[in-house]
Amino acid sequence: MLDRRALPTSTLQPFPLVRIDGLNKWFGALHVLQNIDLTLRPGARVVVCGPSGSGKSTLIRCINGLERFQKGTIEFEGRSLGKSDRDAAMARRLTGMVFQSFNLFPHLTVLANCTLALRRVLLKSAHEAEEIAMRHLTAVHIPEKAQAYPAQLSGGQQQRAAIARALCLDPRIMLFDEPTSALDPEMIKEVLDVMIALAKTGVTMVCVTHEMGFAREVADEIVFMDQGSIVEHASSSDFFSRAAHPRARLFLDTILSH
Amino acid sequence: MSMLDIWLGILQGLRITAAVTAYGLVFAVPFALVFGVAQFVTTGLTRFLVTAVIEFWRSSAVVVLLFVFYYVLPVMGITLSAMTVSALVLGLNSGGYASQAVRAGLQSLPAGQREAGMALGLSRPAILLLIELPQALVAMSPTFVNNLIQLVKATSLVSLVTLTDMTFRAKEISQTEYDPVAIYSALLLAFFVVCYPIALAGRWLEARVNPERGAPRGI
Repeated sequence: MLDRRALPTSTLQPFPLVRIDGLNKWFGALHVLQNIDLTLRPGARVVVCGPSGSGKSTLIRCINGLERFQKGTIEFEGRSLGKSDRDAAMARRLTGMVFQSFNLFPHLTVLANCTLALRRVLLKSAHEAEEIAMRHLTAVHIPEKAQAYPAQLSGGQQQRAAIARALCLDPRIMLFDEPTSALDPEMIKEVLDVMIALAKTGVTMVCVTHEMGFAREVADEIVFMDQGSIVEHASSSDFFSRAAHPRARLFLDTILSH
Repeated sequence: MSMLDIWLGILQGLRITAAVTAYGLVFAVPFALVFGVAQFVTTGLTRFLVTAVIEFWRSSAVVVLLFVFYYVLPVMGITLSAMTVSALVLGLNSGGYASQAVRAGLQSLPAGQREAGMALGLSRPAILLLIELPQALVAMSPTFVNNLIQLVKATSLVSLVTLTDMTFRAKEISQTEYDPVAIYSALLLAFFVVCYPIALAGRWLEARVNPERGAPRGI
Protein backbone atom coordinates (compact mmCIF):
# COMPACT_ATOMS: atom_id res chain seq x y z
CA MET A 1 0.00 0.00 0.00
CA LEU A 2 2.83 2.38 0.87
CA ASP A 3 4.24 3.93 -2.25
CA ARG A 4 7.97 4.55 -2.12
CA ARG A 5 8.59 5.46 -5.73
CA ALA A 6 11.35 7.86 -6.53
CA LEU A 7 12.35 8.82 -2.99
CA PRO A 8 15.64 10.67 -2.92
CA THR A 9 18.31 8.00 -2.59
CA SER A 10 19.84 9.73 0.40
CA THR A 11 16.95 8.48 2.55
CA LEU A 12 18.66 5.12 2.33
CA GLN A 13 21.90 6.34 3.93
CA PRO A 14 22.81 4.54 7.16
CA PHE A 15 22.42 7.49 9.58
CA PRO A 16 19.34 9.51 8.89
CA LEU A 17 18.46 12.44 11.13
CA VAL A 18 15.25 10.81 12.33
CA ARG A 19 14.10 7.26 11.80
CA ILE A 20 10.58 6.28 12.80
CA ASP A 21 9.96 2.57 12.84
CA GLY A 22 6.65 0.78 13.39
CA LEU A 23 5.16 3.69 15.37
CA ASN A 24 1.75 3.01 16.89
CA LYS A 25 -0.31 5.26 19.11
CA TRP A 26 -3.74 4.95 20.62
CA PHE A 27 -5.94 7.59 22.27
CA GLY A 28 -7.98 5.19 24.37
CA ALA A 29 -9.56 2.82 21.88
CA LEU A 30 -8.82 5.11 18.95
CA HIS A 31 -5.84 3.87 16.93
CA VAL A 32 -4.48 7.26 15.80
CA LEU A 33 -1.12 6.16 14.38
CA GLN A 34 -0.81 2.78 12.71
CA ASN A 35 2.58 1.26 11.87
CA ILE A 36 4.23 4.50 10.81
CA ASP A 37 7.63 4.13 9.14
CA LEU A 38 9.31 7.37 8.16
CA THR A 39 12.91 8.38 7.65
CA LEU A 40 14.09 11.99 7.60
CA ARG A 41 17.48 12.69 6.11
CA PRO A 42 19.35 15.87 7.06
CA GLY A 43 18.11 18.79 4.98
CA ALA A 44 14.87 17.08 4.01
CA ARG A 45 11.86 19.28 3.47
CA VAL A 46 8.84 17.13 4.11
CA VAL A 47 5.22 18.19 3.88
CA VAL A 48 2.71 16.00 5.71
CA CYS A 49 -0.81 16.34 4.39
CA GLY A 50 -4.09 14.51 4.50
CA PRO A 51 -7.67 14.92 5.69
CA SER A 52 -8.31 16.18 9.22
CA GLY A 53 -8.14 13.47 11.84
CA SER A 54 -5.64 11.47 9.82
CA GLY A 55 -2.94 11.72 12.52
CA LYS A 56 -0.66 14.30 10.90
CA SER A 57 -0.31 16.53 13.95
CA THR A 58 -0.05 13.58 16.31
CA LEU A 59 2.82 12.20 14.22
CA ILE A 60 4.95 15.33 14.41
CA ARG A 61 4.07 15.79 18.08
CA CYS A 62 5.50 12.31 18.68
CA ILE A 63 8.77 13.35 17.06
CA ASN A 64 9.49 15.96 19.76
CA GLY A 65 7.94 14.04 22.63
CA LEU A 66 4.84 16.19 23.14
CA GLU A 67 2.86 12.98 22.63
CA ARG A 68 3.85 9.63 24.02
CA PHE A 69 3.42 6.52 21.87
CA GLN A 70 2.76 2.93 22.80
CA LYS A 71 4.63 0.91 20.18
CA GLY A 72 7.55 1.36 17.82
CA THR A 73 10.75 3.40 17.90
CA ILE A 74 11.90 6.88 17.04
CA GLU A 75 15.64 7.41 16.61
CA PHE A 76 17.47 10.73 16.52
CA GLU A 77 20.80 10.30 14.71
CA GLY A 78 20.87 6.68 15.76
CA ARG A 79 19.95 7.38 19.39
CA SER A 80 16.68 5.78 20.35
CA LEU A 81 13.94 7.86 21.90
CA GLY A 82 12.10 5.52 24.19
CA LYS A 83 9.25 6.71 26.29
CA SER A 84 11.01 8.34 29.24
CA ASP A 85 11.04 12.01 30.21
CA ARG A 86 14.75 12.26 29.58
CA ASP A 87 14.28 11.02 26.01
CA ALA A 88 11.53 13.52 25.45
CA ALA A 89 13.78 16.29 26.76
CA MET A 90 16.50 15.29 24.28
CA ALA A 91 14.02 15.25 21.40
CA ARG A 92 12.79 18.70 22.34
CA ARG A 93 16.30 20.03 22.59
CA LEU A 94 16.96 18.98 18.98
CA THR A 95 13.67 20.14 17.51
CA GLY A 96 11.93 23.46 17.09
CA MET A 97 8.16 23.51 17.05
CA VAL A 98 5.74 26.00 15.54
CA PHE A 99 2.11 25.64 16.55
CA GLN A 100 -1.12 26.39 14.74
CA SER A 101 -2.20 28.83 17.44
CA PHE A 102 1.30 30.39 17.85
CA ASN A 103 1.39 29.77 21.62
CA LEU A 104 3.46 32.84 22.31
CA PHE A 105 3.69 33.73 26.01
CA PRO A 106 1.30 36.70 26.32
CA HIS A 107 2.87 38.09 29.50
CA LEU A 108 6.31 38.46 27.90
CA THR A 109 7.53 40.77 25.16
CA VAL A 110 8.41 39.26 21.79
CA LEU A 111 12.08 39.57 22.68
CA ALA A 112 11.57 37.88 26.07
CA ASN A 113 9.62 35.09 24.35
CA CYS A 114 12.71 34.49 22.21
CA THR A 115 15.32 34.81 24.95
CA LEU A 116 13.51 32.74 27.62
CA ALA A 117 14.86 29.34 26.60
CA LEU A 118 18.24 30.77 25.59
CA ARG A 119 18.62 32.08 29.13
CA ARG A 120 17.02 29.20 31.06
CA VAL A 121 17.88 26.15 28.97
CA LEU A 122 21.11 27.09 27.20
CA LEU A 123 22.18 29.40 30.08
CA LYS A 124 23.34 32.18 27.78
CA SER A 125 24.05 35.65 29.15
CA ALA A 126 21.32 38.25 28.73
CA HIS A 127 23.42 40.12 26.20
CA GLU A 128 24.19 37.07 24.08
CA ALA A 129 20.59 35.82 24.23
CA GLU A 130 19.30 39.19 23.03
CA GLU A 131 21.81 39.26 20.21
CA ILE A 132 20.71 35.81 19.00
CA ALA A 133 17.03 36.68 19.37
CA MET A 134 17.39 39.96 17.46
CA ARG A 135 19.18 38.13 14.63
CA HIS A 136 16.22 35.75 14.24
CA LEU A 137 13.61 38.49 14.65
CA THR A 138 15.40 40.38 11.87
CA ALA A 139 15.33 37.26 9.70
CA VAL A 140 11.53 37.09 10.06
CA HIS A 141 11.25 40.85 9.40
CA ILE A 142 9.93 42.02 12.78
CA PRO A 143 12.98 43.40 14.64
CA GLU A 144 10.97 46.56 15.39
CA LYS A 145 8.44 44.46 17.35
CA ALA A 146 10.99 43.15 19.85
CA GLN A 147 9.61 45.22 22.74
CA ALA A 148 5.94 44.68 21.83
CA TYR A 149 3.68 42.17 23.55
CA PRO A 150 2.13 39.39 21.46
CA ALA A 151 -1.36 40.91 21.76
CA GLN A 152 -0.07 44.02 19.97
CA LEU A 153 0.94 41.99 16.90
CA SER A 154 -1.10 40.78 13.95
CA GLY A 155 -1.59 37.03 13.56
CA GLY A 156 1.03 36.84 10.84
CA GLN A 157 3.53 38.77 12.95
CA GLN A 158 2.80 36.52 15.94
CA GLN A 159 3.46 33.40 13.93
CA ARG A 160 6.70 34.87 12.58
CA ALA A 161 7.72 35.71 16.16
CA ALA A 162 6.95 32.09 17.09
CA ILE A 163 9.16 30.87 14.23
CA ALA A 164 11.97 33.14 15.44
CA ARG A 165 11.52 31.83 18.99
CA ALA A 166 11.88 28.24 17.78
CA LEU A 167 14.92 29.08 15.65
CA CYS A 168 16.75 30.73 18.56
CA LEU A 169 17.66 27.32 19.96
CA ASP A 170 19.31 26.37 16.67
CA PRO A 171 17.28 23.16 16.26
CA ARG A 172 18.37 20.28 14.05
CA ILE A 173 14.85 19.94 12.74
CA MET A 174 11.91 22.35 12.55
CA LEU A 175 8.40 21.00 13.00
CA PHE A 176 5.43 23.05 11.80
CA ASP A 177 1.95 22.04 12.92
CA GLU A 178 -0.46 23.74 10.49
CA PRO A 179 1.34 27.08 10.90
CA THR A 180 -1.04 29.06 8.68
CA SER A 181 -4.38 27.44 9.52
CA ALA A 182 -5.31 30.02 12.16
CA LEU A 183 -4.38 33.00 10.00
CA ASP A 184 -6.46 35.39 7.93
CA PRO A 185 -5.82 34.82 4.21
CA GLU A 186 -3.86 38.06 3.74
CA MET A 187 -1.40 37.03 6.46
CA ILE A 188 -0.71 33.53 5.18
CA LYS A 189 1.71 34.73 2.54
CA GLU A 190 4.01 36.60 4.94
CA VAL A 191 4.38 33.48 7.05
CA LEU A 192 4.88 31.17 4.07
CA ASP A 193 7.50 33.57 2.67
CA VAL A 194 9.45 33.30 5.92
CA MET A 195 9.18 29.50 5.78
CA ILE A 196 10.33 29.43 2.14
CA ALA A 197 13.33 31.57 3.06
CA LEU A 198 14.02 29.22 5.96
CA ALA A 199 13.86 26.19 3.66
CA LYS A 200 16.56 27.78 1.49
CA THR A 201 18.94 27.81 4.47
CA GLY A 202 18.95 24.02 4.34
CA VAL A 203 17.37 23.34 7.73
CA THR A 204 15.44 20.08 7.99
CA MET A 205 11.72 20.81 7.99
CA VAL A 206 8.61 18.76 8.57
CA CYS A 207 5.46 20.73 7.92
CA VAL A 208 1.87 19.69 8.41
CA THR A 209 -0.07 21.96 6.08
CA HIS A 210 -2.91 22.23 3.61
CA GLU A 211 -1.01 24.85 1.60
CA MET A 212 -0.38 22.80 -1.53
CA GLY A 213 1.21 25.73 -3.35
CA PHE A 214 3.80 25.90 -0.57
CA ALA A 215 4.24 22.12 -0.69
CA ARG A 216 4.85 22.21 -4.42
CA GLU A 217 7.37 25.03 -4.13
CA VAL A 218 9.30 23.96 -1.05
CA ALA A 219 8.86 20.27 -0.27
CA ASP A 220 11.05 17.60 -1.72
CA GLU A 221 8.95 14.84 -0.16
CA ILE A 222 5.23 14.58 0.48
CA VAL A 223 3.79 12.27 3.08
CA PHE A 224 0.07 11.67 2.67
CA MET A 225 -1.78 10.26 5.67
CA ASP A 226 -5.27 8.86 6.01
CA GLN A 227 -6.88 7.30 9.09
CA GLY A 228 -3.63 7.02 11.01
CA SER A 229 -1.52 5.49 8.26
CA ILE A 230 0.93 6.83 5.73
CA VAL A 231 -0.73 5.82 2.48
CA GLU A 232 1.61 7.62 0.13
CA HIS A 233 5.17 8.86 0.52
CA ALA A 234 6.64 10.23 -2.66
CA SER A 235 8.80 12.95 -4.06
CA SER A 236 6.92 16.20 -4.46
CA SER A 237 6.84 16.09 -8.25
CA ASP A 238 5.61 12.50 -8.31
CA PHE A 239 2.95 13.18 -5.73
CA PHE A 240 1.45 16.09 -7.61
CA SER A 241 1.69 14.52 -11.08
CA ARG A 242 0.75 10.94 -10.38
CA ALA A 243 -0.31 10.17 -6.82
CA ALA A 244 -1.02 6.45 -6.76
CA HIS A 245 -3.42 6.02 -3.89
CA PRO A 246 -7.08 6.81 -4.70
CA ARG A 247 -7.51 8.62 -1.35
CA ALA A 248 -4.55 10.88 -2.14
CA ARG A 249 -5.88 11.61 -5.64
CA LEU A 250 -9.28 12.48 -4.21
CA PHE A 251 -7.63 14.77 -1.63
CA LEU A 252 -5.60 16.52 -4.34
CA ASP A 253 -8.63 16.92 -6.60
CA THR A 254 -10.63 18.46 -3.77
CA ILE A 255 -7.94 20.76 -2.46
CA LEU A 256 -6.60 21.92 -5.84
CA SER A 257 -10.01 22.48 -7.39
CA HIS A 258 -10.64 25.72 -5.51
CA MET B 1 -20.03 60.09 74.42
CA SER B 2 -20.16 61.81 71.07
CA MET B 3 -20.23 59.94 67.76
CA LEU B 4 -16.62 61.02 67.21
CA ASP B 5 -15.53 59.64 70.57
CA ILE B 6 -17.23 56.35 69.79
CA TRP B 7 -15.50 56.24 66.46
CA LEU B 8 -12.07 57.00 67.88
CA GLY B 9 -12.68 54.42 70.57
CA ILE B 10 -13.44 51.76 67.95
CA LEU B 11 -10.39 52.73 65.90
CA GLN B 12 -8.21 51.91 68.93
CA GLY B 13 -8.88 48.32 67.85
CA LEU B 14 -7.62 48.99 64.32
CA ARG B 15 -4.07 48.08 65.32
CA ILE B 16 -5.20 44.54 66.23
CA THR B 17 -7.40 44.23 63.14
CA ALA B 18 -4.44 45.24 60.97
CA ALA B 19 -2.06 42.97 62.85
CA VAL B 20 -4.31 39.90 62.51
CA THR B 21 -4.74 40.65 58.81
CA ALA B 22 -1.02 41.08 58.14
CA TYR B 23 0.00 38.10 60.28
CA GLY B 24 -2.82 36.09 58.66
CA LEU B 25 -1.41 36.84 55.21
CA VAL B 26 1.87 35.28 56.32
CA PHE B 27 -0.09 32.01 56.53
CA ALA B 28 -2.53 32.63 53.70
CA VAL B 29 -0.20 33.52 50.82
CA PRO B 30 2.25 30.59 51.08
CA PHE B 31 -0.62 28.17 51.76
CA ALA B 32 -2.57 29.35 48.70
CA LEU B 33 0.48 29.16 46.43
CA VAL B 34 1.86 25.84 47.64
CA PHE B 35 -1.46 23.99 47.91
CA GLY B 36 -3.01 25.54 44.80
CA VAL B 37 0.02 24.53 42.73
CA ALA B 38 0.22 21.14 44.42
CA GLN B 39 -3.40 20.39 43.62
CA PHE B 40 -2.68 21.37 40.00
CA VAL B 41 0.45 19.27 39.46
CA THR B 42 -0.11 16.18 41.61
CA THR B 43 -2.18 13.11 40.84
CA GLY B 44 -3.55 10.10 42.68
CA LEU B 45 -3.02 9.73 46.42
CA THR B 46 -0.86 12.86 46.77
CA ARG B 47 -3.58 14.96 45.17
CA PHE B 48 -6.16 13.38 47.48
CA LEU B 49 -4.10 14.34 50.53
CA VAL B 50 -3.50 17.86 49.25
CA THR B 51 -7.23 18.26 48.61
CA ALA B 52 -8.03 16.91 52.09
CA VAL B 53 -5.84 19.56 53.76
CA ILE B 54 -7.38 22.34 51.64
CA GLU B 55 -10.90 21.14 52.40
CA PHE B 56 -10.21 20.99 56.14
CA TRP B 57 -9.30 24.68 56.20
CA ARG B 58 -11.83 25.78 53.64
CA SER B 59 -14.86 23.84 54.79
CA SER B 60 -14.60 24.26 58.56
CA ALA B 61 -16.43 27.06 60.34
CA VAL B 62 -13.95 29.77 61.30
CA VAL B 63 -15.54 30.39 64.70
CA VAL B 64 -15.34 26.70 65.57
CA LEU B 65 -11.71 26.52 64.42
CA LEU B 66 -10.88 29.54 66.60
CA PHE B 67 -12.42 27.85 69.64
CA VAL B 68 -10.76 24.50 68.91
CA PHE B 69 -7.31 26.01 68.49
CA TYR B 70 -7.65 28.42 71.41
CA TYR B 71 -9.44 26.26 73.99
CA VAL B 72 -8.85 22.61 72.94
CA LEU B 73 -5.17 22.59 71.97
CA PRO B 74 -4.01 23.77 75.44
CA VAL B 75 -5.71 20.67 76.89
CA MET B 76 -3.41 18.65 74.64
CA GLY B 77 -0.42 20.61 75.90
CA ILE B 78 -0.13 23.03 72.97
CA THR B 79 -0.65 26.64 73.94
CA LEU B 80 -0.66 29.29 71.24
CA SER B 81 -1.23 33.00 71.81
CA ALA B 82 -4.59 34.44 70.81
CA MET B 83 -2.85 36.39 68.06
CA THR B 84 -1.15 33.31 66.62
CA VAL B 85 -4.34 31.25 66.75
CA SER B 86 -6.27 34.04 65.04
CA ALA B 87 -3.72 34.56 62.30
CA LEU B 88 -3.32 30.83 61.74
CA VAL B 89 -7.02 30.04 61.55
CA LEU B 90 -8.12 33.08 59.55
CA GLY B 91 -5.02 32.91 57.34
CA LEU B 92 -5.33 29.25 56.44
CA ASN B 93 -9.08 29.53 55.93
CA SER B 94 -8.52 32.44 53.58
CA GLY B 95 -5.56 30.61 52.01
CA GLY B 96 -7.84 27.63 51.39
CA TYR B 97 -10.16 29.81 49.33
CA ALA B 98 -7.28 31.48 47.52
CA SER B 99 -5.66 28.12 46.72
CA GLN B 100 -8.70 27.32 44.60
CA ALA B 101 -8.23 30.57 42.71
CA VAL B 102 -4.58 29.65 42.10
CA ARG B 103 -5.58 26.21 40.83
CA ALA B 104 -8.43 27.57 38.68
CA GLY B 105 -6.10 30.18 37.20
CA LEU B 106 -3.56 27.51 36.29
CA GLN B 107 -6.21 25.19 34.86
CA SER B 108 -7.75 27.91 32.74
CA LEU B 109 -4.54 28.50 30.77
CA PRO B 110 -4.55 26.99 27.28
CA ALA B 111 -2.57 23.72 27.07
CA GLY B 112 -0.55 25.34 24.29
CA GLN B 113 1.28 27.49 26.85
CA ARG B 114 2.72 24.45 28.61
CA GLU B 115 3.40 22.70 25.30
CA ALA B 116 5.28 25.72 23.96
CA GLY B 117 7.40 25.70 27.10
CA MET B 118 8.05 21.98 26.75
CA ALA B 119 8.92 22.38 23.06
CA LEU B 120 11.53 24.96 24.08
CA GLY B 121 13.11 22.42 26.42
CA LEU B 122 12.09 24.13 29.68
CA SER B 123 11.71 21.90 32.73
CA ARG B 124 8.30 21.45 34.35
CA PRO B 125 9.17 23.68 37.35
CA ALA B 126 10.52 26.37 35.02
CA ILE B 127 7.32 26.28 32.95
CA LEU B 128 5.26 26.62 36.10
CA LEU B 129 7.32 29.46 37.52
CA LEU B 130 8.05 31.47 34.37
CA ILE B 131 5.03 30.81 32.16
CA GLU B 132 2.01 29.47 34.02
CA LEU B 133 2.04 31.14 37.46
CA PRO B 134 2.64 34.71 36.24
CA GLN B 135 -0.35 34.44 33.92
CA ALA B 136 -2.57 32.62 36.42
CA LEU B 137 -1.88 35.08 39.25
CA VAL B 138 -2.64 38.09 37.07
CA ALA B 139 -5.83 36.47 35.76
CA MET B 140 -7.02 35.70 39.27
CA SER B 141 -6.01 39.01 40.88
CA PRO B 142 -9.64 40.19 41.32
CA THR B 143 -10.34 37.02 43.29
CA PHE B 144 -7.29 37.55 45.51
CA VAL B 145 -8.49 41.06 46.34
CA ASN B 146 -11.84 39.49 47.25
CA ASN B 147 -10.07 37.04 49.55
CA LEU B 148 -8.13 39.85 51.22
CA ILE B 149 -11.29 41.86 51.91
CA GLN B 150 -12.92 38.75 53.34
CA LEU B 151 -9.89 38.20 55.56
CA VAL B 152 -10.15 41.74 56.96
CA LYS B 153 -13.84 41.27 57.68
CA ALA B 154 -13.26 37.87 59.25
CA THR B 155 -10.99 39.51 61.83
CA SER B 156 -14.20 40.68 63.55
CA LEU B 157 -14.34 37.13 64.95
CA VAL B 158 -11.07 37.34 66.89
CA SER B 159 -12.82 39.21 69.71
CA LEU B 160 -14.16 35.74 70.59
CA VAL B 161 -10.65 34.71 71.62
CA THR B 162 -9.98 37.85 73.70
CA LEU B 163 -8.22 40.06 71.13
CA THR B 164 -9.10 43.74 71.38
CA ASP B 165 -9.93 44.40 67.75
CA MET B 166 -12.43 46.96 66.46
CA THR B 167 -15.39 44.65 67.13
CA PHE B 168 -14.20 43.98 70.69
CA ARG B 169 -13.79 47.70 71.26
CA ALA B 170 -17.36 48.29 70.03
CA LYS B 171 -18.65 45.72 72.52
CA GLU B 172 -16.60 47.30 75.33
CA ILE B 173 -17.98 50.75 74.55
CA SER B 174 -21.53 49.43 74.34
CA GLN B 175 -21.19 48.09 77.87
CA THR B 176 -20.50 51.56 79.27
CA GLU B 177 -22.59 53.60 76.87
CA TYR B 178 -25.99 52.20 76.04
CA ASP B 179 -26.14 53.45 72.45
CA PRO B 180 -26.20 50.43 70.10
CA VAL B 181 -27.33 52.42 67.06
CA ALA B 182 -24.42 54.85 67.21
CA ILE B 183 -21.84 52.26 68.26
CA TYR B 184 -22.62 49.57 65.72
CA SER B 185 -23.16 52.10 62.92
CA ALA B 186 -19.71 53.42 63.75
CA LEU B 187 -18.29 49.87 63.63
CA LEU B 188 -19.93 49.27 60.26
CA LEU B 189 -18.39 52.48 58.98
CA ALA B 190 -14.99 51.58 60.44
CA PHE B 191 -14.86 48.29 58.50
CA PHE B 192 -15.99 50.03 55.33
CA VAL B 193 -13.28 52.66 55.75
CA VAL B 194 -10.69 49.89 56.05
CA CYS B 195 -11.97 47.62 53.29
CA TYR B 196 -12.94 50.08 50.60
CA PRO B 197 -9.39 51.38 50.04
CA ILE B 198 -8.32 47.74 49.60
CA ALA B 199 -10.92 47.35 46.85
CA LEU B 200 -9.66 50.54 45.21
CA ALA B 201 -6.03 49.46 45.50
CA GLY B 202 -7.02 46.09 44.01
CA ARG B 203 -8.63 47.81 41.05
CA TRP B 204 -5.57 49.97 40.52
CA LEU B 205 -3.35 46.87 40.69
CA GLU B 206 -5.60 45.00 38.28
CA ALA B 207 -5.39 47.82 35.75
CA ARG B 208 -1.62 47.94 36.15
CA VAL B 209 -0.86 44.24 35.71
CA ASN B 210 -3.42 43.75 32.97
CA PRO B 211 -3.67 47.03 31.07
CA GLU B 212 -5.44 45.73 27.97
CA ARG B 213 -8.35 44.15 29.83
CA GLY B 214 -9.00 47.11 32.12
CA ALA B 215 -10.57 47.24 35.57
CA PRO B 216 -14.21 48.14 36.23
CA ARG B 217 -14.91 51.88 36.38
CA GLY B 218 -17.14 53.77 38.79
CA ILE B 219 -17.05 53.86 42.57
